[in-house]
Amino acid sequence: MNLFENIRLALEGLRANKMRALLTMLGIIIGIASVMAISTLGSAMTGSVTKTMDKIGGKNIMVSLSPKNYDTQSTLQEDDLITQEELDAFRNTYADQIKAISFSTGMGSGRLNSGFIHKDVSITGASPDYGLVNNVNLVQGRFISNRDMDGNRNVIIIDTTLRNNLVGVDGDVIGKEVQVDTKSTNETYTVIGVYEKMVIDNPLFYMGDDTRVECFIPITTAKSLNPDTANTVGYESFTIMATSNTDSAAFAQTTKDYFIKGMSPLSDYTIEAQSLEAIASEATGMLGTLSLGISVIAGISLLVGGIGVMNIMLVSVTERTKEIGIRKALGARNSAIRSQFIIEAMIICLIGGIIGVGLGSVLGITGSTLMKFPSTPPIGPMIIALCFSMAIGVFFGFYPANKAAKLDPIDALRYE
Amino acid sequence: MRKKIIEMRGIVKTYYQGTPNELEILHGIDLDVYEGEFLSIVGASGSGKSTLMNILGALDRPTKGHYYLDHLPMENVKDDGLSQIRNKKIGFVFQTFNLIPRSTALKNVALPMLYGGVPRSERSRRAADLLQLVEMSGRSHHRPNELSGGQKQRVAIARAMANDPAIILADEPTGALDSHTGRLVMDIFHRLHQEQGKTIILITHNAELAEETERTIRLRDGSIVDNRKNNQYQLGGYYESV
Repeated sequence: MNLFENIRLALEGLRANKMRALLTMLGIIIGIASVMAISTLGSAMTGSVTKTMDKIGGKNIMVSLSPKNYDTQSTLQEDDLITQEELDAFRNTYADQIKAISFSTGMGSGRLNSGFIHKDVSITGASPDYGLVNNVNLVQGRFISNRDMDGNRNVIIIDTTLRNNLVGVDGDVIGKEVQVDTKSTNETYTVIGVYEKMVIDNPLFYMGDDTRVECFIPITTAKSLNPDTANTVGYESFTIMATSNTDSAAFAQTTKDYFIKGMSPLSDYTIEAQSLEAIASEATGMLGTLSLGISVIAGISLLVGGIGVMNIMLVSVTERTKEIGIRKALGARNSAIRSQFIIEAMIICLIGGIIGVGLGSVLGITGSTLMKFPSTPPIGPMIIALCFSMAIGVFFGFYPANKAAKLDPIDALRYE
Repeated sequence: MRKKIIEMRGIVKTYYQGTPNELEILHGIDLDVYEGEFLSIVGASGSGKSTLMNILGALDRPTKGHYYLDHLPMENVKDDGLSQIRNKKIGFVFQTFNLIPRSTALKNVALPMLYGGVPRSERSRRAADLLQLVEMSGRSHHRPNELSGGQKQRVAIARAMANDPAIILADEPTGALDSHTGRLVMDIFHRLHQEQGKTIILITHNAELAEETERTIRLRDGSIVDNRKNNQYQLGGYYESV
């Protein structure tokens, strides 16, 4: 009795009771399908998080001064600020791991006026590397230069929608003067560049619709316009872009340790450094936990499915007692009877598993497409699901099969 | 002197051994069956026929006594060993045919060979030959529910012959058949006996059928009460009785 003979026998047995076999499979199908659907969705979400992180700068490390204790009134001292010299030294120490460092400071919202056109904007003071670090996609003109920085020039970079409003799609906006009112300032800027706003179509990263256009001016200009910061020389926060082969999470820690050494222990402030990758992996970790939770529920449905298989196999053994007796009289060993029934249970589960994988994949693909991050079902979980369904067959088929194998041939033959 | 194919000495079978309702069914059976013999075992119900048949057929073990089948001592044979003996040495023919309902005639005949480890192509070939022997070639792909009682029994006889067993054990093979079909089935046994030299043991309560065989053993209350050659039996004689 080899395996193929057993499979043939099992299929014959199932064919005799198609409806029953299908209903029995249903539990397995539902269980496996939910596991597959969840893992497809999960991998789609993880994939989309990674993709979006890459788009907004997955290798970025955000470094900032933050109060040691939020409860008490902490005041930021001039010495706490990180100076350009400190930064240069840091950059030289880790030259092979740092691609760029950028600074920015928000100036809040304002209103941009040009002729009869008035638009709400938000103004960000940025350093020359800001464009690189934050993937600013410049389509016209240039970004902020070191000279703009040195001269505290009133230059501004606007986005394409604003350009279209000011001069139309084909118009030349470079060199045009615009006037921007903020709460405390009223300045005129020269447009030097146009960028295209990044579209993040990932619902996981939805942060509300900000209709205001973000415009960039040199950070030095921004600082000089703010009476609080006009006379300071350091930075409160900056963003490091790590090279692509750097472990940004580990480098964030290195950065933090480096700057904490340079700070006065008496300061109310400390350094925080966090990599976007770490934030992303936190997010994907949460997704993982969520899908694990759902998988547990799916696992329970598999368990119930397995009990269903066991139940139907027990019925089948009772129903076929006479057949078992005949087979034994004709010389079937106990092991042959046992493997016949185990393989029958396994085949029920395997067919259920295959249908479940197919159904789950379709559900997963449909779901992930609807949620706007289409994906293909992962192969690993697919194989695990199939192996697991067969294992359920063996586990829940063993008891009924053993019962069949141990039947006394005389009693079994006499059974009506 | 023909070769002994079955030798039983002091076979005792006790049920519920060691309990208050202990029941001894067979009280020391001595029985010799020779190769190529056509033997009948008769007895009323409750005489121990079935129990004896189960022991003869290696479906059951005696409580006491020795049983040699084809010179093989049957004591201390484990379950798997008994399966193998049933598979190779014994061909069963039952009153109720006992075919596997969802398998075709051909597959039913091939089944003992499947458990005997005969390769697939060889199985089909031999099963087809055996169906021809019982004149059932035309129905080899029919399932049992598409066959008449007589046809079913012929398939069952072909199945009993599958592994060329040492003995064929037929338990009331005509019991579920009308007299005409029963006659046809008996003819097949005679043919197997005479043309193939098969050893056949027929268990029946029908004295007339028993008369057709070479020798009849009569059981009563678990003991052999009669063991005699049948005068009527002569080679080829059964043809005239049709």
